Amino acid sequence: MKGQILNRMTPYFFMAPAGIIMAIALIYPLGYMMYGSLLDWNPSQSIGEAEFVGLKNYVTLFYDPAFRESLGVTLTFAFFVVIAEMIIGVGLALLLDRNIRGMSVLRTLFILPMMIAPVVVGLMWRYMYHPSIGIFNRGLDAVGLEKVDWLGQNALLSVILADIWQWTPFIFILSLAALQSLPQSALEASRIDGATGWQQIIYIKLPMMLPILIVTALLRLIDAFKVLEVILVMTEGGPGLSTEILALRISRTATEFRELGVAAAMSNYLLILLMILTVSMFAFTRWQERRATRLAAAIQEDA
Amino acid sequence: MLTYLSRTTLAASTALAVIAGAAAANPYAEYEGTTLVVNFPAHPHYDAVMQILPEFTKETGIEVEVDQLPYLKMRERQTLELAQEEGEYDLIGYVVFSKADYVYADQLENLAKYFMNPKLANPAYDPADLIDGYVYNIGFAGGDRGYLAGKTGSLFGLPYGSETSVLGYRKDIFEKHGLEVPETYDEMLALACKIPELEPGMGGLSSRAASGHHAAHAFLLHLNPLGGAIFDEEWTPVMNNAEGVQAAEALKTIVDCGPEGASTFGFGEALGAFLNGDTAMFLDTSIVAGQIDNPDKSKVVGKVGWAMHPMGTKRASQTGGFGIGIPANAEHKDAAFLLMQWLTSKEGDKMVALAGGNPSRFSTHADADVNAKFPHMATFGEALKHADPDWRPIIPVWGKINADLGTTLSKVLTEDLDIQEALDGVAQRATVIMDEAGYNTWK
Amino acid sequence: MSDKAYEKQNPAFYALLVALIFMSVGPIVLMFANSFKLDVDITSGTGGLLFMPTIQNYETALCDVLWYEPEHLDFCGLKFGGAFINSLVIALVSTVLTLVIGCMAAYALVRFRFMGRDAASLTTLMVRMVPPAVLLVPVFGLWNNEFCLDKDGLVGGMIRDSFGGRGDVCLAGTHSGIILIYVAMNLPFVIWILQSFIMQVPRSLEEAARVDGAGPFQVFFKIVLPLIKPGLAAAAIFTFRIAWNEYLLASALSDRDTKTVPILIVNNMSEFNVEWGVIMATGMLLAVPPIIFTLFASRQIITGMTAGAVKG
Repeated sequence: MKGQILNRMTPYFFMAPAGIIMAIALIYPLGYMMYGSLLDWNPSQSIGEAEFVGLKNYVTLFYDPAFRESLGVTLTFAFFVVIAEMIIGVGLALLLDRNIRGMSVLRTLFILPMMIAPVVVGLMWRYMYHPSIGIFNRGLDAVGLEKVDWLGQNALLSVILADIWQWTPFIFILSLAALQSLPQSALEASRIDGATGWQQIIYIKLPMMLPILIVTALLRLIDAFKVLEVILVMTEGGPGLSTEILALRISRTATEFRELGVAAAMSNYLLILLMILTVSMFAFTRWQERRATRLAAAIQEDA
Repeated sequence: MLTYLSRTTLAASTALAVIAGAAAANPYAEYEGTTLVVNFPAHPHYDAVMQILPEFTKETGIEVEVDQLPYLKMRERQTLELAQEEGEYDLIGYVVFSKADYVYADQLENLAKYFMNPKLANPAYDPADLIDGYVYNIGFAGGDRGYLAGKTGSLFGLPYGSETSVLGYRKDIFEKHGLEVPETYDEMLALACKIPELEPGMGGLSSRAASGHHAAHAFLLHLNPLGGAIFDEEWTPVMNNAEGVQAAEALKTIVDCGPEGASTFGFGEALGAFLNGDTAMFLDTSIVAGQIDNPDKSKVVGKVGWAMHPMGTKRASQTGGFGIGIPANAEHKDAAFLLMQWLTSKEGDKMVALAGGNPSRFSTHADADVNAKFPHMATFGEALKHADPDWRPIIPVWGKINADLGTTLSKVLTEDLDIQEALDGVAQRATVIMDEAGYNTWK
Repeated sequence: MSDKAYEKQNPAFYALLVALIFMSVGPIVLMFANSFKLDVDITSGTGGLLFMPTIQNYETALCDVLWYEPEHLDFCGLKFGGAFINSLVIALVSTVLTLVIGCMAAYALVRFRFMGRDAASLTTLMVRMVPPAVLLVPVFGLWNNEFCLDKDGLVGGMIRDSFGGRGDVCLAGTHSGIILIYVAMNLPFVIWILQSFIMQVPRSLEEAARVDGAGPFQVFFKIVLPLIKPGLAAAAIFTFRIAWNEYLLASALSDRDTKTVPILIVNNMSEFNVEWGVIMATGMLLAVPPIIFTLFASRQIITGMTAGAVKG
């Protein structure tokens, strides 16, 4: 009897440490933030001393051109980063999906950029983009071309390029894995039918990789909203607000403008945005799984 | 054995007596062995201070542990620390506009009681020798308009690492083309755009312009000399009047004729460009002089001359930089005062000046040793006479207006936003901020 | 795979490979090279890769742990050594804790049916997407003001007596405070990744052990853990990477004694004095541990990445 109770309690023992830590350090803070977003609250006050202002912070933000611009920058950044990385990453995977010597060395070198601290990536690129001593402008100068004002006129583009450098390998590795797990029989069959390389890619490889590609893209999209340090180090959000993504705006509002309530409301907006993305990712995987089981069932019936 | 023991006891007691005797003449004795935790900005002046601090410990037996942070970071840290019931820091360096926040929130010690305390105050301190403009700008609060000198104010900090703006120029370039050192704004702006023509690849004047406080700072540099102001007497924002527009235009001209990528330069990059010989002029704080003569950092050693900030409708160079004060929640306030007094004393001020810092006393600017080592010190002393204590409004909401000004001006510089329109927007938002903060209550 | 002959490719293909390698590793090599140059050489750009290497930048960076005083320094401003130790302690402790706790939770979620299982699993999945920036405000407020012990209380008093310091004992400014948030932040991801590895452990093995009289904890530690080693390795690397590289939350929570390396690097990019050489040297030192991991454990990293994404 005693043993049975113990057995029944086992999963809770296993879950407890994780549950407790996540409750006090994730769930409770999120609730705290939602309450804080209803306050006029500055960093030198404790939350009890702050004045309750209802939804004022949300309304102010909604009409705040700086917040809207920053939201726009965030969406532009995330959109272009994911599109570019998907195209390049998948393209490279299709190209390099060959049996060549040293593939593992190659993969190791490719994942280096994503393992390095974002802070370091930021400073590396800030140096390379430097208008006079940076390697890009020196290179352009050496071949007699016009110098480019990287972090000035083209700041957002420059930031996007740096992110592409860092994260394309992620897409590449995942698509390569997806490619190599494709059933060889289908490819074999198409080759016998005389399909060209391009036809194989368009009609067989890409459609079969699609589920994984969509999940990958969504993962990357969610991560693109988390980017902060690289941009902080490279441009600090400038010039103007041209690279001030939401995460950076939140941190500046909290620390520089000393408005914790507004920063909390902004965090909440960002959270809602990400929630929508995450839920759509789940919905997609669920739908995908169900379709797969249905297909499997159908195949079995056929057999 | 016994005699030996008693002799040592005797020796020990004489030694004790000697120490006690010395203590009577040593105001620091009581605090020997105390460790002060101080929070200083990462700033060339405070780098010089780091070099002289061991001297203080040697002289007084008071240990100093320094937490050096970039100044925006430092401000964040202080916001948090000063609000605690008991704080970690015994002495803080604060940036000039923090004065408003800290004094208003009752977080800085009024220095009166320390200067009144005969055990602490050094009779040889000579406060009259401190540079007036700096003292009122950085240490004084509660006077006219709340932040200027005036009968109702009192002292909360001492200027330390204060600065004014000066014009650095390349003597070799000016000589080569027979150029005159600009005296007025018109001359300076004309020259700034002429130099890239004379010396292809070289920018005219390097200025900070990056989004945020850099751009705002650069704007303020030109606003006051050109006769503009942030507010009028009634706290109405007037940075969008004709003079304000002129100042923004001046900034845009300078950036357009400046070195490659000038629109994104922070202070470090602007200075870097000048040090690297990419520009012929540099108009900013006086603290850079030490680096310009350092061959490890600079390619223009010995080629730079200094002049006063050019005149617009008047001479009005920057007042700014840092002060030091004692947090109200500090643990070792008396010892902190002693450190503060030591640092700003005639000897301390000279020592830090020789180490490359910015002196805050008239006597140090005139000192023969200091002038022998840094010949520019005399010009800087002259420039100080025109430092404008009302260079920027030091009120609690300034931070917010400053941030908005900085981002908006950056858009003018990089996205060709219309200047009048941009400044009108800043003025409009500033009006709302001022209204919320209660500056219109008595209107 | 291995017994198949390698395909021959045309030269353009190899040229492309070289270009790709150059692009992905080039910036790192450039930083490495620059960290051995004097500032004057970096800004003037003379020589490119041909220059007199100097370890001066590393001396400046590491001045607080060197046994001698470098001549070119007037004083030791950077406390890199201390920050490095902080980073190491925080990253290692939080990695170990996350793995142990995460592993147990993942096991429970995969192998047991219990009340609240679905809710727990769903919450884990949802909080995975919370960006650090969203946690900034609440963590800042809670760690500084709410998660505190009264300095006059029993435990708080004891801590103040033995460790010194002033004011109430709060989580902010302590290693534990930073470790707590890192563990919490990494848990969802680790649980998620490990679930897919645990699912592959054949149930029959566990049942056999149970028949032999092993309790649930013995089964977990003796049977399951050894079998999911590759998964653990992958999870460990990812957790370590985040804890080692994170800047934002650490900068909001740390004080002068608990600064980590990323904070030090950002702080050192002071606006008054951009010392490229020293910055590159500190950057290099921060990048070295992850680079070493990557070189030695790239297989695990790739397994982890693919497991994480594909089995979402």
